[in-house]
Amino acid sequence: MTAMDVDTGALQRKQSLYKSMDEIFEIQKEMYKGQQYSQIYYIRLHLIRTLIYSLLPNWKPHLPVCTVLGLEEGKECIIVGTLYKHMKLKPTILSEYSKERSATPLVSPDNFVHPDDSLVLEDESGRVNLKGNVLSPSVYVTGNVVALHGKETGGGDFFVEDLLEAGLPPQLDLPNKSGEDKYVVLVSGLNVGSSSSNPLQLQLLVDHITGHLGDKKEQHSAAQIVQVVVAGNSVQIQHGLLNGQNLASKDQSKLSEPIKELDIFLTQIAAGIPIDIMAGYNDPANFALPQQPLNRCLFPGSSAYNTFRSCTNPHLFDVDNVRFLGTSGQNIDDLNKYSEAKDTLEFMERTLRWRHLAPTAPNTLGCYPFTDRDPFFIESCPHVYFVGNQDKYATRIIKGSEGQVVRLISVPKFSETGIAVMVNLKNLECSTLSFAVQISS
Amino acid sequence: MNNGRKRAAQQPPAPPQPSKHIATEMPMEEEYMDEDVFIEQNLVDEDQLILRDMEDREALANRLHKWKRPLLCSGYHSESQNIVFQQLEIDYMIGESHKGLMPNSSGSTAIIRIFGVTKEGNSVCCNVHGFEPYFYISCPPGMGPDDISRFHQILEGRMREANKSNKFSVPKFILRIELVQKKSIMYYQQHSSQPFLKIVVALPTLVASCRGILDKGIQIDGLGMKSFMTYESNVLFVLRFMIDCKIVGGNWIEVPAHKYKKSTKSLSYSQFEFDCLYSDLISHVPEGEFSKMAPFRILSFDIECAGRKGLFPDAKYDPVIQIANLVTLQGEEQPFVRNVMTLKSCSPIVGVDVMSFDTEREVLLAWRDFIREVDPDIIIGYNICKFDLPYLIERAETLKIAEFPILGRIRNSRTRVRDTSFSSRQYGTRESKEVTLEGRVQFDLLQAMQRDYKLSSYSLNSVSAHFLNEQKEDVHHSIISDLQNGNPETRRRLAVYCLKDAYLPQRLLDKLMYIYNYVEMARVTGVPISFLLARGQSIKVLSQLLRKAKQKNLVLPNVKQAGSEQGTYEGATVLEPRAGFYEKPIATLDFASLYPSIMMAYNLCYCTLVTPEDVRKLNLPPECVNKTPSGEIFVKSNLQKGILPEILEELLAARRRAKADLKEAKDPLVKAVLDGRQLALKISANSVYGFTGATIGQLPCLEISSSVTSYGRQMIEHTKKLVEDKFTTLNGFEHKAEVIYGDTDSVMVQFGVQTVDDAMKLGREAADYISGTFIKPIKLEFEKVYFPYLLISKKRYAGLYWTNPDKFDKMDTKGIETVRRDNCLLVKNLVTECLNKILIDRDIPGAVQYVKNTISDLLMNRMDLSLLVITKGLTKSGEDYDVKAAHVELAERMRKRDAATAPNVGDRVPYVIVKAAKGAKAYERSEDPIYVLENNIPIDPQYYLENQISKPLLRIFDPILKNASRELLHGSHTRAISISTPSNSGIMKFAKKQLSCVGCKALISNKDQTLCSHCKGREAELYCKTVDNVSELEKLFGRLWTQCQECQGSLHQDVLCTSRDCPIFYRRKKAQKDMAEAKVQLDRWNF
Repeated sequence: MTAMDVDTGALQRKQSLYKSMDEIFEIQKEMYKGQQYSQIYYIRLHLIRTLIYSLLPNWKPHLPVCTVLGLEEGKECIIVGTLYKHMKLKPTILSEYSKERSATPLVSPDNFVHPDDSLVLEDESGRVNLKGNVLSPSVYVTGNVVALHGKETGGGDFFVEDLLEAGLPPQLDLPNKSGEDKYVVLVSGLNVGSSSSNPLQLQLLVDHITGHLGDKKEQHSAAQIVQVVVAGNSVQIQHGLLNGQNLASKDQSKLSEPIKELDIFLTQIAAGIPIDIMAGYNDPANFALPQQPLNRCLFPGSSAYNTFRSCTNPHLFDVDNVRFLGTSGQNIDDLNKYSEAKDTLEFMERTLRWRHLAPTAPNTLGCYPFTDRDPFFIESCPHVYFVGNQDKYATRIIKGSEGQVVRLISVPKFSETGIAVMVNLKNLECSTLSFAVQISS
Repeated sequence: MNNGRKRAAQQPPAPPQPSKHIATEMPMEEEYMDEDVFIEQNLVDEDQLILRDMEDREALANRLHKWKRPLLCSGYHSESQNIVFQQLEIDYMIGESHKGLMPNSSGSTAIIRIFGVTKEGNSVCCNVHGFEPYFYISCPPGMGPDDISRFHQILEGRMREANKSNKFSVPKFILRIELVQKKSIMYYQQHSSQPFLKIVVALPTLVASCRGILDKGIQIDGLGMKSFMTYESNVLFVLRFMIDCKIVGGNWIEVPAHKYKKSTKSLSYSQFEFDCLYSDLISHVPEGEFSKMAPFRILSFDIECAGRKGLFPDAKYDPVIQIANLVTLQGEEQPFVRNVMTLKSCSPIVGVDVMSFDTEREVLLAWRDFIREVDPDIIIGYNICKFDLPYLIERAETLKIAEFPILGRIRNSRTRVRDTSFSSRQYGTRESKEVTLEGRVQFDLLQAMQRDYKLSSYSLNSVSAHFLNEQKEDVHHSIISDLQNGNPETRRRLAVYCLKDAYLPQRLLDKLMYIYNYVEMARVTGVPISFLLARGQSIKVLSQLLRKAKQKNLVLPNVKQAGSEQGTYEGATVLEPRAGFYEKPIATLDFASLYPSIMMAYNLCYCTLVTPEDVRKLNLPPECVNKTPSGEIFVKSNLQKGILPEILEELLAARRRAKADLKEAKDPLVKAVLDGRQLALKISANSVYGFTGATIGQLPCLEISSSVTSYGRQMIEHTKKLVEDKFTTLNGFEHKAEVIYGDTDSVMVQFGVQTVDDAMKLGREAADYISGTFIKPIKLEFEKVYFPYLLISKKRYAGLYWTNPDKFDKMDTKGIETVRRDNCLLVKNLVTECLNKILIDRDIPGAVQYVKNTISDLLMNRMDLSLLVITKGLTKSGEDYDVKAAHVELAERMRKRDAATAPNVGDRVPYVIVKAAKGAKAYERSEDPIYVLENNIPIDPQYYLENQISKPLLRIFDPILKNASRELLHGSHTRAISISTPSNSGIMKFAKKQLSCVGCKALISNKDQTLCSHCKGREAELYCKTVDNVSELEKLFGRLWTQCQECQGSLHQDVLCTSRDCPIFYRRKKAQKDMAEAKVQLDRWNF
């Protein structure tokens, strides 16, 4: 695999304009100095409430706005606050200390929603229990900020009659394209080093992207790829090895082997195309969101190229002025545990309408205790919103009331499905690249 | 009010081993005496005081008004309707006798007051007239009517003399002396009855005074100096009344229409007060409709006071700043009143009535008005008897609010506080305060907990963690004053906290079904509910005994307190355990209610015991008597049926009935009542034996108790012999059965079979076979199989508990659950995990490996500090301890560091043992865990290894492993040791800090580097390690801090809780600190 320009009619790889906006997710100067999680909730409430207040005149202008404290029995009003969901099945760290360990170990379920779950609305002044059928506890999660219309009934309950969410954020116009097809490839869950990962399959992907595969036609389409994004879980390392003790040399190699392997793949791509790699749940990165870029020292080969970018998770960037926002999947996976929807895309849509990328952080999703900002607040609406490491590929366009158009993409795990997703920058159309390898024994 | 004070809930002195070897396991209660209270004695001229600032409080009154009780039915006023009510409290006072009801008497007399609630929820106070105090003496032979009247005169004279100084205005001390035919309960007697004198006196206290005179001896013409044995002279007046009127605690009473008179001047705050004669009362047996509970009002409250920094709140200086109240109707799930009274303004709380006042005086008076208006029947709280109520009263005294302490139901009667001490073998000695609140039952959940449950800690926090499975937020008392001095918002924060503390006792009460269980206990044993908490076991047995004796025309002698020298007798047998780890099923055969059964089977009673003297004299035929293994003679039931066996039969029959009804019952409230009843019946049946063995009790009779245990021993031996004789290969069984252990009322048998199912079959067969050889109702039952079974020593074992052959029910452990709170959490975790691995996973190598890993972690300084924290209560100040103790020394040291946060007397002191100079004593090496965390002080792993974990571990592993000690405690895993460097010890101040290579710790000169040149090649691996550490800590950090947000019930406010009883408190702190350090480490890689 040397050069791809064999003929004189050599294919030229298309170029694009790239701009990263990850700085909002970066944790540089911030330190753990004893701060708690109350601040991030406070900021979130403040941000979204200000926004919601501006919507109220168009929603129900005749109703007074109250704080939880200002509620009076029987008086109809609007309150805005953070939801808190009481959940019966929610696992708690205190159960580690419970008196009796049950004889059969508790199998942790995938979903902790229970019919008895109930919602509470909280603002700085206090809490109030929410009643009524308008608000379904299975949809909302702790951390959502919403406006509620209703009235206090006796005994400290608030009967909800209607509800308002912040709605889709405003969107920059989609650049009017000259009709040139350019593609961004989204792939996630390479899981190099895991049992499900197949090096051959991955090599096929790399070869395709770099134009080493197929006929002229295929190479032609490969040349239109202007950007590759790897959305998390690129390697799997054995965490058991990292128990703090010095490693035997045998184990040392076990640990570093998959990372080296990944570096080789990335180097091949970076040699030809700009590539972004985002940290994911299994990667050697920090756990709490926003996850910081994977350290360059892990990738001595690929990091030598300036086309290689190690990015945060979530990741926010423009390619030719098309705005992409994506995560490695933790935000949606967590929603899937603590609420219900018919599919991944519905969860994604909700996060946009809630104006918040990860409402369950910090409650059930690890998150840095920010004191001055909530980086997950979605200020402007992306054109493409993707989430990695999902079970299935799925995509849909949603439209906002102010003409916003968003392409939602659920990017599947490559190691299990062999699927990568291509997004056309011209019209936001999606297609898949599917690689299947049959190994006969 | 909570934190410090309720943490102060002190562990009673360790109760003696629950061994049955000591004769006196029953409470050695001090004798309770009647106390005559005269109406006028405690009256305050209230009207004037109250009228003074009437107008100011009108607004308040309107607010309180809505919580008033439902309106009274008009039929009562016209005296034309029967009054039916459930009584909760009975007492008496001395007043003028009622002219209308008792035209023939005059002067002071005892009036019984019954407080209760009707079905409709109206509170009533019933003044019962005409019941007179009395007792018996045996009539000297040959005393005629003339002699009696002469005796009466002499006694009257002596009484007058003895009570000269008293201000009683009674025309006569001895009202009359009657000749009656009765029989003493003591010893078998052939005659049916003999003459007794019933001495009726004017006032209840005169019983004791008269008894004193008769005990000492009295000069009677013709008979000379003579002292008399008195009978039933130690029965409290109220109890006497209840027994004679067949009233039991908490039952329903009816007074027919026209038999009562509405009181002309009502003396109580009850809605309806009336007078009647005791003979007109109808007491209903608690069955059917009358087993229900009236909708009585339960008030749960809590106070907060602003203490001075570093000092325990003192009512002389520290103001009461908040009082939170919740009132619940019995039988309803939610409180119908929630309010909080605060000093200074407080922001509103949803669903709670917040009442703010400018002065403390107003707060206190508002509370008093609230009590009067709501009129609660039961007042509950946590540590209210020792702290909240006395504090309020003392505080009012300090502020000179004379009109405050009128909290009872008696108009103008001042609430009084006095110190009492309650001492009992079973519960230990407890200093307490008695607060008189006439007509309202006080139920302190702390007292109930200490009485009914053996817990490692009785703080409200750990009790609610134990029963309600949730942690309670704990605001340190040094913060309370800050919150109070802040703004309405911070006071609101405090109020929310205070409300939570007021609600927890109510929830505990509901969860543990306390109302049902205690009311049923009162009904079964026949004593007022208030006796149950304030007094020991024996009053309950005595009450039943007196009731039964009355039916049989028997009287109980008042035995002189014999003192403890009466000695002990041999207790139950423990068959020597064959320690070991049994991997075959072990069947357990249990005697059902062994001691009660023995007493019934052999007719053991006071009245069937034959004195050695009578054995010779009466010449009873051998077929009519039983000689017990301890050598006593009791007659069989054909000659004389014992009272105790009869009581027991009734109790057990009633329990069977209750259990049968329980199965049928559908209504959850009825179920609760029945379950409470069967439990009360069981406890009562078991306490009868103890009553006879209490040498300082009311009526000890060691002949009975020693006979009971001797039979018990015989039965255990007998069972062992039968099992081992019958289940042998000779008799066609596959294996030879072996009894491996037996204790008091159970025998463990290894039948040698492999499956649980087979063991169960054989167990059942053995139980049936052996039961056949016993006299009824003694019965051996097969209950459960242990498999596998780890038998360590006497009363120490663990095993999986099977009652059906398919699946085990639970893991059962005795004597090795290290719930003792002077152990650190590590011990408990280690032991539990090992038992799980050994018994459930059947993985002994796994358990050994787990122990080794844990020890290695400990030595390598990788142990979570919270697991190493040891906690002890500081019960008195340092100088008062005789021996130097770790926690006391630490408290002193902390006080020198910062008096404000140092623990006070009553607080619990958590500490860890740290490294120090060689030879330093353990008490010098104790340190505050927070201080240790902040300053990186190395802990002393050897101390934990040797003094904490080694003993419990060896106990478990000795029966399993050879050389357990060498294997576990001295293996190769103990070689590597790592000790952290302290960051602020003296010498470290001179040390220079230098960066070292993350990989090999070699010093690096260039501070921009992370690794030395040798480690550069391992960069990726070392980075992974660092980042993995960060990632783990982030996970933990998130889980811990969000959990604390959850407990405090707020997302937008910082967590303030400093509950040191909470298992995650130190972890949370440590995670925060570790996180900061790990982040710094990680940031080095970014250069």
